[in-house]
Amino acid sequence: MGVKLLLDKAHVPGIRTYDVYRREGGYRSVEKALKEMNPESIVEEVKKSGLRGRGGAGFPAGMKWSFIAKPEGVPRHLVCNADESEPGTFKDRYLMEFLPHLLLEGLIVSSYALGSNDTYIYIRGEYAWITDILEEAIKEAHANGWLGKNILGTGFDCNIHVQRGAGAYICGEETALIESLEGNRGNPRIKPPFPAIQGLWQRPTVVNNVETLAAIGPIINMGGDEYAKIGVGRSTGTKLISACGNINKPGVYEIDMTISVEDFIYSDEFCGGIANGKKLKACIPGGSSVPILPANLLLKTAKGETRYMNYESLSDGGFATGSMMGSGGFIVLDEDQCIVKNTYTLARFYRHESCGQCSPCREGTGWMEKILQKIETGKGSMSDIDLLWDIQRKIEGNTICPLGDAAAWPVAAAIRHFRDEFEWHINNPELSQTSNFGLQHYADPIHVPA
Amino acid sequence: MGLQFNEQQMTECKRLVARYPEGKQKSALLPVLHLAQESFDGWLSTETMDYVASLLSIEPIEVYEVASFYSMYNLKPVGKFVFEVCQTGPCMISGSDNIITYIQQQLSIKPGETTEDGIFTLKLVECLGACGYAPMMQVGKIYKEHLTKEKVDTIIAEYRSQAAAKN
Repeated sequence: MGVKLLLDKAHVPGIRTYDVYRREGGYRSVEKALKEMNPESIVEEVKKSGLRGRGGAGFPAGMKWSFIAKPEGVPRHLVCNADESEPGTFKDRYLMEFLPHLLLEGLIVSSYALGSNDTYIYIRGEYAWITDILEEAIKEAHANGWLGKNILGTGFDCNIHVQRGAGAYICGEETALIESLEGNRGNPRIKPPFPAIQGLWQRPTVVNNVETLAAIGPIINMGGDEYAKIGVGRSTGTKLISACGNINKPGVYEIDMTISVEDFIYSDEFCGGIANGKKLKACIPGGSSVPILPANLLLKTAKGETRYMNYESLSDGGFATGSMMGSGGFIVLDEDQCIVKNTYTLARFYRHESCGQCSPCREGTGWMEKILQKIETGKGSMSDIDLLWDIQRKIEGNTICPLGDAAAWPVAAAIRHFRDEFEWHINNPELSQTSNFGLQHYADPIHVPA
Repeated sequence: MGLQFNEQQMTECKRLVARYPEGKQKSALLPVLHLAQESFDGWLSTETMDYVASLLSIEPIEVYEVASFYSMYNLKPVGKFVFEVCQTGPCMISGSDNIITYIQQQLSIKPGETTEDGIFTLKLVECLGACGYAPMMQVGKIYKEHLTKEKVDTIIAEYRSQAAAKN
């Protein structure tokens, strides 16, 4: 059993309500931060903790906070990114649905540290019932003096507002999110200026993911140094992993980043092994945009070392033989899954979600989807594989925001590791419509723990 | 003047606008469009969008460009209940194809269509963040998860009787 900082109270009956949450020690970090600390010392603690952004990029949160500009007389804002839309990712939903006050606690401390008197939670529009849960929790926090004017008699004022999006993956990108919060289309902005200088309504703004902000309470309570002792290397603290696909126990798990990928998949405490007695074929370990890995490279690095569930180990080997921690959306594929079809559905997703602003992404995502559909339906030709490779390479790095990269990487990784499966599809146009390539791909037999 | 929010809807609209600083009322556009869609038959007609523009003192084109960008806004009439079935990777590997085919058979409609009785619309959508509980669909505010054919039957029957009760 690893350390749990976020979900340790998730199963306490009634923890969603203020009374139970408070009785269980909730809001202590707000008392400590507002009464005993100043904004600078809070930023210092967060820096010491080594907390990295949990939305996907993994950028150090304390450093991001320290960039915020403080021009005289200009309001600053903290925005919570609850737009969780990366396929495979459903951890923020879990946090907000079951522990809304944990998020509010982190938001109040963070708002104090950043000087935000009006803080916004931008939540994906489809999470409509969670919006109601958050609104209710905010009401309770107001009624008990944790929000509003002069909180705890310290002179600090803070209000938290929830805004629903309306169905757009791109709004998880922070500048698109800000555009959406201003009532516009979610077109990402050209940076610089970065939001820390000119964000919401051209004011200094910090945008952080739900899980990042939920970790602030525990960090303040235990101190940054203690938090940094959990985990390994630059992967400090705990991380939520949302596991899905062909496993026995899909769900949201909190790990301390010292567990191996193999243990995470096969132990009963976590995924509980592959469903229906099947074999593991591949896995997308950090949300749909990170490179897919075949089972052998997932469990062991190219050097033959055990791969662990943390930022460094998952990216060991770069994109040639590794992947990324990303958002923690862990998608497991069993032997019956078709890599071509899986890649096609992801390409369709990115075409659907491209905002259309940059031509490499707007045109490229649609083009990749069409070619993949052609191969998937048995109408592909060999040159299509090289064409796909060429298109993805021309999207990557050539767009305003990372959606272009996110669309390119899954296609690149699928071809890199499963090229023979694509070739089999093309060489067997009829057979590929009724059966799958299965595990033939692997030169070495797949290691399956007993 | 044609369509208008009733008193309760107008109160909610004012609450939404009040969350933003003076002069930044355009920020309330997405929430107000949600409110308008819920209030006026589940979709946004040009008349509805023009009304929202007047409420927020912005140009109609500013509303159109936003309404057409986000997938949750319906720009044409829909049935009383919209089945939004997820088809992205994680749902696909968990069997969403079979569920989609089954719903099409049971309702005799294709994606994007509405049943003749005006009760159901079928929409295929991309990832709704329920990957661990796949296959799934959204109906209004509610997520229906771990879908099986039997569960789909129950859901359809449930909404049919709800629609009958309203008439």
